[in-house]
Amino acid sequence: MSETTVSPERTVVEEPTREQWSGQNVPRKEDKRLVQGEGVFFDDVKRHNMGYVHFVRSPYAHAKIRSVDVSAALDFPGVYGTLTGDEVATLTDPFFQISSPPGAHLKDYCLAVGKVRFVGEPVAAVVAETREGARDAAELIEVDYEPLPAINDARRALDDDAPVLHDDAGTNLTWEGVFDWGDVDGAFAEADRVVKISELHFNRFNSTPLECNGALVEYNRGTGQWTLITNNQFPGFAAIMMGPAMRVGLDKLRFVTQDIGGGFGNKITSHPQLVACCLLARKLNRAVQWTEWRTDFHTSMSHGNERWFVDTEVAVKNDGTMLGFRTTALDDAGAWLRYEPLGGIIWAQVTPGMYRWRNIQLDFKQVVTNKAPVSPNRGYSRMQHLWFTERVIDIVASELELDPVEVRKRNYIKADEMPYETPNGCIYDSGDYAKMLDVALDLIGYEELDSRRADAEKRGKLLGLGIGSTLDSGTNNFGQSRLINADLQFSGNNEVATVKLDLFGEIVVTLGTTPQGQSHETTAAQVVADILGCSLDDVNVRAGHDSYWNSHAGFSGTYASQFAVTGLGAVKGATEELAGQMRKLAAVVLGATPDDIELAEGQARLKGNPEAALPFMALGAIINANNAGLPEDLDVTLNCRYVYRPPFEVPDVERKYGNLTLTYAAQVHAAVVEIDPETGVYEIVDYAAVDDCGKRINPQIVEGQVMGATAQALGAATHETFPYDEEGNLLTPNFYDYHVPHALDMPPLKTGYIESESPFTSLGTKGMGEGGGAGIHAVCAALQDALRSNGKPIVYDSFNPYERVWEMLREPEASRERVTVEST
Amino acid sequence: MLLREVGYARPRTTDEALGLLAEYEGARPLAGGQTLINVMKARAAAPDVLVDLNGIAELKGVELGSDGTLEIGPMTTTSELIAAQEARARPILGEVCSQIADLQVRNRGTVGGNICASDPTNHLPPVMVAIGARMTIAGPSGERTVPADEFFLGVYMTAVGPGELLTKVTVPPGRSDGFSSVAVGKDGTCIANAAASANGGLRVVLGCVAAVPEVIRPDGTDAEAVRSAVRAAELTPPGDVHGSSEYRRALAEVVAARATAQATERVGG
Amino acid sequence: MAADRLAPAQASRVTVEVNGTTYEREVESRRLLIHLLRDDLDLTGSHVGCDTGNCGACSVILDGTLVKSCMLLAVQVDGSSIETVEGLAEGELSPLQQAFSDHHALQCGYCTPGMLMSATALLRENPTPSDDEIANAIQGNICRCTGYWNIVKAVKAASGQEVGE
Repeated sequence: MSETTVSPERTVVEEPTREQWSGQNVPRKEDKRLVQGEGVFFDDVKRHNMGYVHFVRSPYAHAKIRSVDVSAALDFPGVYGTLTGDEVATLTDPFFQISSPPGAHLKDYCLAVGKVRFVGEPVAAVVAETREGARDAAELIEVDYEPLPAINDARRALDDDAPVLHDDAGTNLTWEGVFDWGDVDGAFAEADRVVKISELHFNRFNSTPLECNGALVEYNRGTGQWTLITNNQFPGFAAIMMGPAMRVGLDKLRFVTQDIGGGFGNKITSHPQLVACCLLARKLNRAVQWTEWRTDFHTSMSHGNERWFVDTEVAVKNDGTMLGFRTTALDDAGAWLRYEPLGGIIWAQVTPGMYRWRNIQLDFKQVVTNKAPVSPNRGYSRMQHLWFTERVIDIVASELELDPVEVRKRNYIKADEMPYETPNGCIYDSGDYAKMLDVALDLIGYEELDSRRADAEKRGKLLGLGIGSTLDSGTNNFGQSRLINADLQFSGNNEVATVKLDLFGEIVVTLGTTPQGQSHETTAAQVVADILGCSLDDVNVRAGHDSYWNSHAGFSGTYASQFAVTGLGAVKGATEELAGQMRKLAAVVLGATPDDIELAEGQARLKGNPEAALPFMALGAIINANNAGLPEDLDVTLNCRYVYRPPFEVPDVERKYGNLTLTYAAQVHAAVVEIDPETGVYEIVDYAAVDDCGKRINPQIVEGQVMGATAQALGAATHETFPYDEEGNLLTPNFYDYHVPHALDMPPLKTGYIESESPFTSLGTKGMGEGGGAGIHAVCAALQDALRSNGKPIVYDSFNPYERVWEMLREPEASRERVTVEST
Repeated sequence: MLLREVGYARPRTTDEALGLLAEYEGARPLAGGQTLINVMKARAAAPDVLVDLNGIAELKGVELGSDGTLEIGPMTTTSELIAAQEARARPILGEVCSQIADLQVRNRGTVGGNICASDPTNHLPPVMVAIGARMTIAGPSGERTVPADEFFLGVYMTAVGPGELLTKVTVPPGRSDGFSSVAVGKDGTCIANAAASANGGLRVVLGCVAAVPEVIRPDGTDAEAVRSAVRAAELTPPGDVHGSSEYRRALAEVVAARATAQATERVGG
Repeated sequence: MAADRLAPAQASRVTVEVNGTTYEREVESRRLLIHLLRDDLDLTGSHVGCDTGNCGACSVILDGTLVKSCMLLAVQVDGSSIETVEGLAEGELSPLQQAFSDHHALQCGYCTPGMLMSATALLRENPTPSDDEIANAIQGNICRCTGYWNIVKAVKAASGQEVGE
């Protein structure tokens, strides 16, 4: 069903001095427990007499809350207590808002206060002895609503008569940024043609991790500390949001995660529900357990940003050289800004996509609507923008009757231009996009395209090939938040690892991350074992995250395609420190200098005289239990905590200029589709994905991420969508209606790799995992290619269910109305 | 996700089941549960009592009569029907059942349940109407048999009234049948489907386009005759997240023609 | 076979064998089997991933048949025998479990127990399945991490057949 072709291409070649664990497909440490069902996910944990939470949720998209009456619920047998918006408004302060005004004025609490703004918004909570009892009791809570008109189309959100969601903001336009780099007017003056596209739409969906959000929260009265056994994937962010709101210091919030059933960004904004659980645990003096059910997740949590690109104009030369573009990006944030409006700047990590145009103008308008709040979703904000640049390339190529492969090669940033500074000062570290495209075309059998098309035609099918190229920018510079709000005091990034050598020679690694399947225990062990010269089995990486380990920092978590840089950077730093200390100590014991000592085969030994050796256990024993007689100034603890800090500057807020991300992994995909012209039903009959994430610590794990991102992108391209009806009800509130790919939906897959190491990271790795939605871009391009012979419709939406394809077949002119070409 | 309180009973015979349905007004029969449990999870319906039919041996089984007629116990699971040698007397049954959802659903979901749910997107209702199945219903006033084209009365409504049970599905022999569908993903929910039978005269039946299976009577077996008959029916299918009314109308022509082609190809085969 | 219950009961005693051990619990009739397993019997290997019976993370083998345990009431399995993921390894990982690890057929591991049960049911009935037959067997199990390719490969490898690299 899938084949892998490895095309290794190293731009920096290192000769290994001995066999390295890094670069090998070693077995995963995580697997043993997971294949036996012995993983510990939050819902697996129980506490004696814990209460189960059920949230009462709004049935209205927009309504005033006149009253909330919990008295009948409180009388229900087995109920321990309740929480309402009124209580919350006195016990907590509104969540910190990232936005500058007017978004800054939103008053966001953990339960709706005064008003509800989307169907599914939590209004009250009840805790009971059993899950079923909490659900029963919730039906007895009476909420009196006064419905208000709702807005469920971002394009209407700024109409004069549009209902305003937040009176405190006074408008639905909660954030706007105008970006202007290069000389856009000059580009249009120089252009031979101007291609205008009235509207492109990136659809609303998300990654639906199989495990939904949830937590088991306990409160320790004596210390005033909460322990949250949860699956929030960015505890650093959650703590910053929760602490001030709850009026407590961050150290009062202990986050504990072990196994997490997928995150993909959709487990970053659970902090409102976590606050509610904390308040309940304290109020009721018992542990409180919250399981988010699938319907709750779909209706209320973490939708991906829906974005329109309106009035796009592209300046292009007759030979297909792209000079620049202008567009307005209208972004629908849903009802609340929880991680937003960071989406309003994060796209700028990849402003030009993979292309060399220098003149770009983008007016980013973010509005609130009566829909579920958005949050980061795999490919967060870059995916939308990269889809846009890919559509532009494809549409312009089509209108100018140029080959989309040639247009890409003409415009791709070239390998010898790397590191490449983009128009807004981001630095693409390395990469060879044209080569990746060649590999993809080879894997997909590009040479045979014409004969495949003819063969498909004989079978009554329309065949098309499409390219989707994308970037996976990783390791954020949080200074970009200042381009959203100049008053913010965030910048840089960090991640922490602690590596110690214990009494009996155990090497113990503690990470600050919260993996949800990214194999951190395994790749961290590979890096440690390489530096210490021991086996993988000697390295014990603790599973998950625990604030008590004190091995985390402000930005700790697992998000934004960065572990191979930040997490492993921290692991490398801590392990090198430990290695240095081990050599120092061994030198003292063996009467040599540290430079004379090497670490190999689980020992510290004299170079050139391997008999003179100390096993790690001996070193651990000396420091931990037998340290008399050591030199006073011997600075050795064998317990090394390292904070990795990427090299960033604070961006220039005036010019909106500066390096926003450290690494740029890339993917180029090729898809072949066959359309049934009678029905619009299409099948992806062949698929190739080529990835470059620099040095791969574990190629099999990298491939797994590429595969997973591909599958999710294919789902988003074909069936996955979060549409709303007139009343603001989500029409796909669970897996019955929201169709994700199943095993029989998957096309045959070929994968390929090149490795362009990053010059900016300690291991030459680049973060990867999100994947940038290349599958969506490729399918859109393939459909457009397949439909070309049928009136050249343009693909204008990231989401193309069978019906849309059928519409484009029937009325190609309708989509063509969106595009005009002017000669200048 | 979490059900309301409910009483549960598990009778041994059809008579005991009928007795329970008569005695408890809010009682509903529980077949495979692949529809009803979901409905109860959503709290869209909350029967007071569930009468579990899974212990009633006489409601299971597939029997082949000497004349080739199949008698299918309604509690036969779709997996059991696929595997039953006897069911090869009417191959379309196994073929269509294999397209339903997934293995876990087929292992519990029953023939009777799929029929009695009368969900317009289900697979078996249009098939049953096309092949001229007959449904035997037992109730307080005795037993009666209803032909398939009188069995489906509306969305989630069939001729099986309150207090009654489907006890047998009788299928005449035949091999010239066809089925075609457009679904959301492979084996997903049907957006449009059609069953056709060309065993002596052509019968084409559409699912998904109306509250009950819609019978189409083309005046020829060629694609254009079928499509024209579908158009003449002036359908007003529902529109929902999976397809607009217009799209379903267009798909109906295509699946009807394809099902017919499949059925006529098998004539004499 | 289950004891017969001729009078409707809101709650009752359920006796069920799971992975060879017999358990007896008093349960409400409305209790789903998955919650009996996870909450009452502390067998948390089977997971909940949805609320409409679509995801298959709760899949177990009931009296030899693969089912979704969220689509059954606990009372319905009185007297029955159930196999869950916890019963697959006997001291060491089964060849199927090992194959999942070898071929990177799991990332977060949440769908894995259900996948393993579906694969177990398949291999009992069809010891040398094709890729399509494997995909069909796990069609009722949703995975969001792997894209299924490696899962199909792992099951094929576990069956002793050649798999491509």
